[in-house]
Amino acid sequence: MSSQGLTGPALHLDRLPRRRRVNRVMELLAWLAAAIAIAILGVVVFSVARKGASELNFSLLTKDPIPFSLTNAPQGLANAFAGSLVIVGLATAMALPVGILVAIYLNEFAPGSIRNGVSLVLDLLNGVPAIVIGIFVFGLLVVGHGQNGFDGAFALACLMLPLVARATMEVLALVPNSLREAGLGLGSPQWRTTLSIVLPQTIGGIVTGTVLAVARVAGETAPLLFTSSLVGTQTSWNPHHALQTIPVAIFELSESPDPADHARAWAAALVLLIFILLASLGGRWIATRKRTKTTAR
Amino acid sequence: MASLDLADRTRRPFTGRRVRFGDVALQVVAGAAALAVTVLVGLITWKVIDGARLAISRYGFHFIWRIAWNPVVGRELYGAGSFLFGTVVTSLFALLLAAPLAMGIALFLTELAPRGLRAPVTALVETLAAVPSVVIGLWGILVLGPALRTTIEPWLHSAFGFIPLFGAPSAAGASIFTAIIVLTIMILPIVSSISRELFLGVPHELKEGALALGTTRWEMVRGVMFPYSRGGIAAALILGTGRAMGEAIAVTQVIGGGVFIQWNLFGGGDTLASKIAASYQGSTTNLSTSSLVYLGLILLVFSLLANITAQWIVRRVARGHGVTRGGRA
Amino acid sequence: MPKLGNPFRTLVVLATVAAFAFAAVSGAGAAPARKATTTISGAGSTFVAPLIAQWISPLGSAYGYELQYSAVGSGAGITSITSRTVDFGASDAPLTSDQFAACNGCEQIPWALGATAVLYNLPGVKNLLHMDGPTLASIFMGKITTWNDPAIAKLNPGVSLPSTKITTAHRSDNSGTTFNFTDYLSHVSGPWKSQIGTGVAVNWPVGSAGKGSSGVAGIVSQTPGAIGYADIAYALTNHLKYFAMKNASGRFTTPGLRAMLSAAQSDVHPAADNSLSIVNPPKAAKYANAYPICTFTYVIVPLKSSKAADLKKFLFWAVTKGQTYGPRILFEPLPNPVLVVDEKAIAKIHT
Repeated sequence: MSSQGLTGPALHLDRLPRRRRVNRVMELLAWLAAAIAIAILGVVVFSVARKGASELNFSLLTKDPIPFSLTNAPQGLANAFAGSLVIVGLATAMALPVGILVAIYLNEFAPGSIRNGVSLVLDLLNGVPAIVIGIFVFGLLVVGHGQNGFDGAFALACLMLPLVARATMEVLALVPNSLREAGLGLGSPQWRTTLSIVLPQTIGGIVTGTVLAVARVAGETAPLLFTSSLVGTQTSWNPHHALQTIPVAIFELSESPDPADHARAWAAALVLLIFILLASLGGRWIATRKRTKTTAR
Repeated sequence: MASLDLADRTRRPFTGRRVRFGDVALQVVAGAAALAVTVLVGLITWKVIDGARLAISRYGFHFIWRIAWNPVVGRELYGAGSFLFGTVVTSLFALLLAAPLAMGIALFLTELAPRGLRAPVTALVETLAAVPSVVIGLWGILVLGPALRTTIEPWLHSAFGFIPLFGAPSAAGASIFTAIIVLTIMILPIVSSISRELFLGVPHELKEGALALGTTRWEMVRGVMFPYSRGGIAAALILGTGRAMGEAIAVTQVIGGGVFIQWNLFGGGDTLASKIAASYQGSTTNLSTSSLVYLGLILLVFSLLANITAQWIVRRVARGHGVTRGGRA
Repeated sequence: MPKLGNPFRTLVVLATVAAFAFAAVSGAGAAPARKATTTISGAGSTFVAPLIAQWISPLGSAYGYELQYSAVGSGAGITSITSRTVDFGASDAPLTSDQFAACNGCEQIPWALGATAVLYNLPGVKNLLHMDGPTLASIFMGKITTWNDPAIAKLNPGVSLPSTKITTAHRSDNSGTTFNFTDYLSHVSGPWKSQIGTGVAVNWPVGSAGKGSSGVAGIVSQTPGAIGYADIAYALTNHLKYFAMKNASGRFTTPGLRAMLSAAQSDVHPAADNSLSIVNPPKAAKYANAYPICTFTYVIVPLKSSKAADLKKFLFWAVTKGQTYGPRILFEPLPNPVLVVDEKAIAKIHT
């Protein structure tokens, strides 16, 4: 519908084709941006998958590394897989209870100003770069005592804590007040209400938050460089000593000139990536299932 | 009956009740956890300042802009200047590259994508956020760096070599340019997912009103969505910058290392975070260790500032839009 | 009392927890049942890492020791043993008096003899090009930037050198190999000594940085035109070319075993702190075949240690039987005078 003798602002109708063209260009750019993002992800994942798959074999998980090997004896990264399991497991054990308790306090007990304050503190903790956490734990725990798995786990726990706390807070806030009142109305004290009625409603969200936090720290390298990097080659499950971990192993192997080391690094990266992707997607899947459940009430 | 104002999320509609031991116990334990978290953040700040104390007393504020890093015993002199420069340059360029891409993705996901594509593409972009930095760094050293060295860098050098920014291509693929690309990839998911949420939050009436007035979709985005989400986008960009500044591992793997400021994007350099990652383990003298912690202190201050600024913007925007505390943003 | 939420969900959570626990327990059980072994942990020099790697399995079969070594660089090795994070440290650079004081009752013992090779990557050009100290210093100072520079051409008459740009590679971490290399350059180049000096880390005017000897070797192997420095073992394992360096007697020598032995003759009397300096042996018939960038490398141990007996056994083995694993990867066995001093030093360790 072009101009039909209208004056004033209607003159702008003459620019309609141009405006449409601009619009088209912008839409194409947006499509392009999305395509680029997918392409990048595709390239990275594809590189890791292709290069990692060729070296991915059972020895990677069961054999220890043999540095400067002059023979072709099979070697792998068993010590790193074991160490990662132990350290991430310990970190989860440290961060989960504290995170849940903080969320309970902020949501159920804290007056407004304290809640705002501690919320801010949690966000600040979330914003501290991982390498600064490494420096901190090093100065606090490692100096004078040596590295060990517990120090590494503590550093990772500091990174997990805000994520777990925030996820728990969000799901606690979703629990309707009516539930709490119902509990009180039945004569249950507040602590009982919180633990037996409110908290079980939030388990899905807590699991999601924890799984996502685990996915995040499973690949963290910087804090472990400071706390658990002087390691041997033999597999150990004892966190009283420094344990090798997957991200640190990948980091060290990536800077080596030996193509065999690179191949092992790709394979370890592939395993790590698969684990993290499964955890992230799994966590989100649990979240959506939970959400449909609560909204389908 | 006690007021059940939904805006007041303090669940205490039972004033005057008999206080049970269990209640006190839970409150104390939970409160202790909250206190512990606060103490933790304070402890982190204190420990970092304490570690940097030697360097601070020796060098004062001059450290921040001095361009030097000489660890030779007897000639020791340290300064953060070149690393601060490196941090600023890499983060800024990464932001410049990531921001339009992230906006584009967010717009695509909220306005343009067919229904069926939205969920999978969103999941894909968020998956990119899940890739650990050491894996991106590995890919950067072994795939991206060499690829850039043989393709884009020589092309840019031959086309724009008269600008000092595009000097001789890097030797091994490790360069500031590679680090910028890596950082762009890392902050892209954060900025785009926050932007997406912001765009989803723009009220329908505003968007439809504009369209009803005859604007094209782009004009609606430019005239309604962007101004409405302006604050949130700023916060997202600041958060992304904070993330880029703090990234140590992927950057140290691909940036090449260097102490002096040089303008060639294809040369090496270091950022605050990457220098710490590279040099901390082997630091032998107390002064060099303290100087590295001083670098960490500067980094911490910047990160906290970025965080607080983003929070403040978000809070102001939330108030401006009349969002009450009871609802989800 | 209200039910504890959906039983299915609880079951899923419990099952996940049980699965993790089961995996952890079975994993621990599946680890090979090891007899009680003593762990001896160390950290430090990447220079000596290839040799130590050869010791791991024979030590295990001889004494049941589990030797753990982290090649994090000489600097990190010194800090680790100073903070007693490990049982021994390894450094190619002798400790300074400040470091001795900080280490609080440590001694250093030379336990291997090796050489720093100057690696290069120049496709189409032969191995063992000639190079001398002053030219090398100019290259690493950024004054010589292309391969066909007259200074390099003069040393290699008859070789056609391309105009490829030279990229120098150095260590990003604190490194005894850097100490050895810069010590050599300070000896042979006045400008280097005054402007840059000697150290485990210096202010490199130009070049790319790599972490560890493998990092430097990596840069050289991936970059045409690169020149770097690392223990000769890294050149061999990565099939990299290296220079024949001109020594004080005017000969171009390579870092072979005989050249190392010849260089070692230039200082056979360890100082009071057991350090030795054998870079750039002077001009004399004895050192005519010496390679000018050799170095002893040291193990740093506390004089008082709870693992004294095991440490002593390990070190005695290392300086005697352990040396036989060296020649394969171009570590020359310790000369006798040094061995005598070593054995006395090892005996000083007590509980």
